[in-house]
Amino acid sequence: MIRLQGVTKFYGAKKAVDGLDLIVKPGELFAFLGPNGAGKTTTLKMVCGLLRPTSGRVLVSDFPADSPAARQLLAYVPDQPYLYEKLTGREFLRFVSEMYGLERPVAERRMRELIETFEMGDYIDDLCENYSHGMKQRVVFASALVHAPKALVVDEPLVGLDPRSGRIVKDLFVAQARSGVAVLMSTHLLSIAEELADTIGIIDQGRMLAQGTLADLRRQVPQHGHLEDLFLALTGGNRPRTPLPTAVEAPEG
Amino acid sequence: MSVVSLGTPALAAGRASRALRHLQFRLLRNTLVGLFRAARLRVVVIIACSAIFWAGLYFFFSQGFEFLGTVLPLSNEVVEYVFSLFFLSLTVMLVFSTGIILYGGLFQSREAAFLLTLPANPDSVFAHKYAEAIAFSSWGFFLLGSPMMMAYGVTARAHWTFYALFLPYLASFVAIPGGLGAIGAVLVANLMPRRQKTVLALFLMLIVAAACFVFWRVWRTPGEAMTREWLDALLTRLEFSQNKLLPSRWLSKGLLDSGRGQTWSGLFYLMVTTAHAGLAYLVAAVVARDLYRRGYSRVQGGRSSRKRAGWYALDGAFHFVFGPVIPKPVRLLILKDLRTFRRDPVQWSQFLIFFGLLAFYFGSIPRLGYQVQSAAFKNLLSFLNLGVTALILSTFTSRFIFPMLSLEGRNFWVLGLLPLRREAILWGKFAFASGIALVATETLVVMSDLMLELSAPMIVLHVGMVAMLCFGLSGISVGLGARMPNLKEEDPSKIAAGFGGTLNLLVSLLFIVLMVAALGLPCHWYFSSRKLQEVGASLISDPEFQWRIGLGLLCCFLLGAIAIIVPLRIGARAFREMEL
Repeated sequence: MIRLQGVTKFYGAKKAVDGLDLIVKPGELFAFLGPNGAGKTTTLKMVCGLLRPTSGRVLVSDFPADSPAARQLLAYVPDQPYLYEKLTGREFLRFVSEMYGLERPVAERRMRELIETFEMGDYIDDLCENYSHGMKQRVVFASALVHAPKALVVDEPLVGLDPRSGRIVKDLFVAQARSGVAVLMSTHLLSIAEELADTIGIIDQGRMLAQGTLADLRRQVPQHGHLEDLFLALTGGNRPRTPLPTAVEAPEG
Repeated sequence: MSVVSLGTPALAAGRASRALRHLQFRLLRNTLVGLFRAARLRVVVIIACSAIFWAGLYFFFSQGFEFLGTVLPLSNEVVEYVFSLFFLSLTVMLVFSTGIILYGGLFQSREAAFLLTLPANPDSVFAHKYAEAIAFSSWGFFLLGSPMMMAYGVTARAHWTFYALFLPYLASFVAIPGGLGAIGAVLVANLMPRRQKTVLALFLMLIVAAACFVFWRVWRTPGEAMTREWLDALLTRLEFSQNKLLPSRWLSKGLLDSGRGQTWSGLFYLMVTTAHAGLAYLVAAVVARDLYRRGYSRVQGGRSSRKRAGWYALDGAFHFVFGPVIPKPVRLLILKDLRTFRRDPVQWSQFLIFFGLLAFYFGSIPRLGYQVQSAAFKNLLSFLNLGVTALILSTFTSRFIFPMLSLEGRNFWVLGLLPLRREAILWGKFAFASGIALVATETLVVMSDLMLELSAPMIVLHVGMVAMLCFGLSGISVGLGARMPNLKEEDPSKIAAGFGGTLNLLVSLLFIVLMVAALGLPCHWYFSSRKLQEVGASLISDPEFQWRIGLGLLCCFLLGAIAIIVPLRIGARAFREMEL
């Protein structure tokens, strides 16, 4: 469903993604792990057609990622989701469903289901400017699913969510994958990757360092039992240095 | 299973455009409903202020046209030149303002990133953002253009078709520079994605150079000023504004013809303008269709190339000069704003252009012969120059100083949690604004006074008054900026164009008018009763001058103190109580 072939992306002289090959099959939940600046978000933006690769190909169901056909099949939830502050949650969902060309009755039915799934009934008719971060995230996830996408791309999905919202989102990912959707998720939370992912890819400095199921990865680096140790070993050696508290002299006066 | 089918591209484009139109309608409706429900007073204030501003402009233009009518008939070709030049300069401004707003909207906004992930064609997204950019960039054009047209129509006793046609003329006209600005924005994103600010600064400098060239040619017009020969030579030098390919020419020609009752000619030029407006939009939409996505990727892809900052010697010099007088935490805050200012060509280039043009005009005063006019005329002109300088300064404080606190946005908590009193942050912004304003305006006003060969006491008087104006305008902008921050908006032009920004501009204008009147009127009454040779160094010992100017100075001082203290106190209280 999602396929990257020898994808390289330069930001000026800096190589952000370096010859990346990746396949996410229908029904697979792929977790993308990597330190800050590793190239995760750049890769996701190329998958949803916002950025063009410097070289290589990005395909969604065999359509080029920046084609309308690919976007029709895909849903993207960025790390900082966008909502129109002066729309209500329901109006926002309606707008997205209109953009995807859903028939009105179909759209209304989908919206009812999603409002119930994400427990948004209490506030869906308030303006988005009054929502908390968690409420906004729920609306954004609902909008991503309103057209029943074939591929779901999510950047850091659990940032700022309370435990209940987090549980809803995690269950949603699993349910989507089991229903045949290809889910590509970037996260810095190793526990999430361990808990949810069918396949884990560890990326650093734009290169895929390791890829496979959790068991595969453990076999690749046998002396490390936990995913955290494996991640640290692959992405820069041992545990990072802990900053110690330092006495700072108070300024005069 | 997916619940949508792909459909044909035309169908997809049609439904995306429809959805985006619905979106704009819903956003507008919800905003208006919210305003009327929650802030009725604000709506009333906005409408009242706009009406007063419109009426003031109408009065100003009426007076101007009536004066012109005493010198020459208002159907004269000179008026055609005046209109053409006015609309030509507005064309240039609209190209830039639409281009800048559209560049931000298409390539840097989070909304654009969201829309580009939806199955909308790039030209549909472009059309949506283009409409928004046109609305933001051209409202000032309508606010300025409509009273001018009405004033001309009434003064020149224009035919009724003039009133029927001027609004369609203005509406179709804005789409031409809008389309050009849009094409420029998309091309810059594609060709120079990492150099957009440099490109903008270069273009602005090019425009200034062209304006300076025109001024220079006008200045060098041979013959004695205001004679027939001089006027003919002047018009020859401004002949470029009458080029038949310029939209500003179609507009002025068509409007004036309809005013004279030549309806068919008026309609013909309206059709020419409308056709070209459609063409400009069509070309822009095609360019966007083919290049928008590529440009977006290039702009976003070029953003993380690291830029090295320089000019640290300036920072050291700043600490050295102001170290003894400004506490270090406040100095560091000012330095942060100074660095932002010098690294943002949009800020300093606009500052340089407006004040550069004024400097050019003031430098031309000897050529115009104003320095040998009567004392009353020179005094009037000196206060007019001072007022214009203050007006330009107020646009700068409204556009760049007022949004400063709002622009801290998401980083606001960093300022709020700093280990210093929150008032110190405001004082830092106030000192930054006043410092820059003082350097620019004092230089200009002293230059103007020297060119007018004013006496030393008058120069000192103006220097003091300008200082009060700088402090007052900075106090108003910083204080109101803290009282009415818009922490959700990232675009400073939209913050400045919002309610708070508009109120700030109106309060600033009122302050300038009161200040100039407080000192200008006593001076005018004093000088209008004297001849040129009677006014000199002895001015200061004249009791009549002393009491009149003393009273004016007292009023100025009080007004200045109010403008500094009241907004800053209001702002400081709001800022202190603000929850981060």
